[in-house]
Amino acid sequence: MSKSLKIASTLQCDLLIIGAGGAGLRCAAEVLEKRPETSVIAITKGSHPQKSHTSTAQGGLAAVDPKDPADKTIYHMFDTWKGSDCTADQGVVRKITEAAWEQILWLETRGMHFSRDHNGKLSKRTFGGHTLNFGESSAYRAVFEADRTGKGIMDTCWGESLKRNISFINQSIATELLFKDNQCIGCLVFKQKTGELVRVLSRATVLATGGSGQVFKVTTNCRQNTGDGLTLILQAGLPIMDPEAVQFHPTGIVGPGILASETLRSVGGILRNKELEPFMERYAPKMKELAPRDLVARAIVSEIREGRGVLNPDHRLEHVWIDLRHLPDVVHEKQIPEVTGFFKKYLNIDPKHELCPVHPSNHYHMGGIPTNASGEILDRSQKVIAGLFAVGECAAASFHGFNRLGTNSILELITMGKFAADRVLDYFNSVSDNLPEAKGHLTLSRFSQYLEAGGDDNIGKIRDALRTLMTDKVSIFRTEAGLLQTMETLKELKDRADKTALSSKSLRMNQELFQHWELDNLLSVSMIIARAALDRRESRGAHYREDFPARKDEFNYHTLVSMTQFGEVEMAKREVDMSIFNEKGEYYEKFGMIERKY
Amino acid sequence: MSQKTGQQVYNLTLKIHRYDPDTHRSWIQEYRLEAGRILRFVDLFRKINEEQDATLAWNSSCEHGQCGTCSVKVNGKSLLACELLVENAVQYFNTTTFNIEPLNIAPVVRDLLVDLEKAYERLDKVRPYIIRPAPALSPGEEYPISPHELEGYVNATRCINCFCCASACISSHRTFLGPHAMLAAIIRVMDPREQEKQERLKILYSDQGVYRCHSSRACSFVCPKQIDVAHFIALAKEGGITRKR
Ligand SMILES: Cc1cc2nc3c(=O)[nH]c(=O)nc-3n(C[C@H](O)[C@H](O)[C@H](O)COP(=O)(O)OP(=O)(O)OC[C@H]3O[C@@H](n4cnc5c(N)ncnc54)[C@H](O)[C@@H]3O)c2cc1C
Ligand code: SF4
Ligand code: SF4
Repeated sequence: MSKSLKIASTLQCDLLIIGAGGAGLRCAAEVLEKRPETSVIAITKGSHPQKSHTSTAQGGLAAVDPKDPADKTIYHMFDTWKGSDCTADQGVVRKITEAAWEQILWLETRGMHFSRDHNGKLSKRTFGGHTLNFGESSAYRAVFEADRTGKGIMDTCWGESLKRNISFINQSIATELLFKDNQCIGCLVFKQKTGELVRVLSRATVLATGGSGQVFKVTTNCRQNTGDGLTLILQAGLPIMDPEAVQFHPTGIVGPGILASETLRSVGGILRNKELEPFMERYAPKMKELAPRDLVARAIVSEIREGRGVLNPDHRLEHVWIDLRHLPDVVHEKQIPEVTGFFKKYLNIDPKHELCPVHPSNHYHMGGIPTNASGEILDRSQKVIAGLFAVGECAAASFHGFNRLGTNSILELITMGKFAADRVLDYFNSVSDNLPEAKGHLTLSRFSQYLEAGGDDNIGKIRDALRTLMTDKVSIFRTEAGLLQTMETLKELKDRADKTALSSKSLRMNQELFQHWELDNLLSVSMIIARAALDRRESRGAHYREDFPARKDEFNYHTLVSMTQFGEVEMAKREVDMSIFNEKGEYYEKFGMIERKY
Repeated sequence: MSQKTGQQVYNLTLKIHRYDPDTHRSWIQEYRLEAGRILRFVDLFRKINEEQDATLAWNSSCEHGQCGTCSVKVNGKSLLACELLVENAVQYFNTTTFNIEPLNIAPVVRDLLVDLEKAYERLDKVRPYIIRPAPALSPGEEYPISPHELEGYVNATRCINCFCCASACISSHRTFLGPHAMLAAIIRVMDPREQEKQERLKILYSDQGVYRCHSSRACSFVCPKQIDVAHFIALAKEGGITRKR
């Protein structure tokens, strides 16, 4: 059967978008709006672009409204810098925050159904970490579409692309980038429905494959988020930046992993362990449940590690409780109806009368493909790779540094998507119309290997073992011993995966075949996360080393990790851009190495 | 212990409709499995893949009811597999045997997986975006829409294109573009930012449009987002969507 796997056809386009989520399609829509004759192909792994992860973002997107008398862009810059634990790149922070409101208007005028205030203007809400006057009070800075802001962005960017005649290739995976003379000229695509391999040649290629949350057992991320884009880059011999910067949310709902939002704690929800003890009193006697996210997450995991967790038999997961039973009916009904709804729907639990099981949940990958402020991908020596761009969660520009503020991610999608489009349009003027040829060699050998392997392991079981390992050893708490052990175990899992035979050798919609490919990607991403976490012998933002609990100035840099062969890792560094601080303008002192204390 | 049924573990039989595109063979395969009360049907499919049969094909993405990828028919009812808990299914259908089919909205690719690209073609026909945007009332500012005006159609904007309604609608399988496609068109008729009303009304009142609907309300009954789809369609039939509110 594997003999029939060959490159069936070649397609050509001006612009290739790998990953039709919010970021990818914002970029496509801009290019098509400015230059309607552009031929654009967008690939999505899901059954349709609307099924991308962007559709699930709930809360909102941050942008300073120039008409707001109290808020200023400099405050948004400061909050982002502070939130990042002083590891965001200040040039990017400035560029994104300054362009934010214009991009909100882009969405609004193209039909996004933002929630409105009584004057018919966009409503705004507050979000953790967003403040006025450098931390003085909460800022009303997040615009939103009820509890489905991401869906609004996704629908709008998809609609605008559709309107302007984009071509979609759905249910397909980009498996390999193609290069000629250090210039990216497209990729190979495996079409799952037909089992064909197709070569797409393009003048410019934008990677927008989203996050990598499936690396962890409990995650808010959708099933498509297996870090494919990062692996495509590693395969090409290029580096990934700050992979160790992974964000966790303290209270994910056991089962689907979705968020039980902070509101539960702010309205008086109490965290309890197996003995029903309100344990936060021991970790943060003053703030208790209202302590910062990372502290609460560590407290929960400590309880579980010390044997005071509760096992959920169905999902085979240890958790703690959040107790909402004492809250008045009006709070249940008016202030937390959505989250209570989730407990009812996914656990058949009535939070008015029963305890609710929660566990920290992986949420966001700050690290990713290193780019400049226009989304151009950079190599280890900071040189731009011609024709290759990355935007969205798979990219690291770096707007979020080591910790992302809520509502800043979907802002990044629409702004960086636009900036990359501007740069792509410039690039078209400088590059010839003739598309060079390249063959690609990795995909065929990798897929043949999957099809030919013998052995009786199971892809799903290995994936489960990998995700459990990463959750146990590389999430909330990291230690040298744990990370070293993880890297060893990952190698064993990789060996097991290599030897696993497929139950069917069919090429057509053989989900086991592409899940094997995804598993290889998960293994690679896990390996670079573990390795980067090992080398960063300090704690910073979401990266917490139990053996090195403080931030250290000697680590004020971005990690760069390359890995062309599994397990053979090369490390390098990129400087943190502190241009706002270095320019010594107004308020520059706020942009030094400040403490991330709230 | 479950307060609903008093049971912790269920012995289930899933009769899954399968299709092999290589041989064009269709058959029903029976899987027996033990499952905890709060596992969801997507968890059951995964369990089958891991423990019994890695070839069973199905689809999902967000797995918390926001993307509409995992729609299937369980004992005849179109629903999202990520939202169906074992315990609730046993209670609702009053059985531990479940007949599981792909949605009948487009050709099946394999097993439970249908060709959503084909299914979306009908939605694309109603042009789900603003065709001709109204100019801003004051430059550089958002177009004002009062909460009251938005209230008129905001529920229709919650549709996630899961196609459950299209699969339940008896009219949907002929020329009708489908209940959710009607919603997408109705939204932009009611949205003050859309200037191109004529083309929209032409599609809505064409022989592929709202008059195909027999008002059975099956769409509203199955919608996992609890959108009263039939209400919007009825409103369009009586001309209520162009009336100034
Ligand atoms: C529950 C939840 C709530 C959130 N709420 C907020 C919020 O309120 N505010 C905020 O700012 N952020 C929020 N986020 C984060 C935010 O949603 C994501 O970071 C963002 O949507 C990522 O968008 P993207 O365009 O980069 O990627 P995605 O939307 O994930 O799109 C990636 C695309 O790439 C495709 N793809 C992947 N691999 C391949 C491949 N190999 N070949 C081809 N295509 C591929 C996928 O199919 C998909 O189409 C939330 C996240 C979660 C999980
Ligand atoms: S009410 Fe109309 S649109 Fe809805 S299911 Fe019945 S016939 Fe179809
Ligand atoms: S109207 Fe409801 S059932 Fe129909 S596609 Fe939309 S969400 Fe699904």
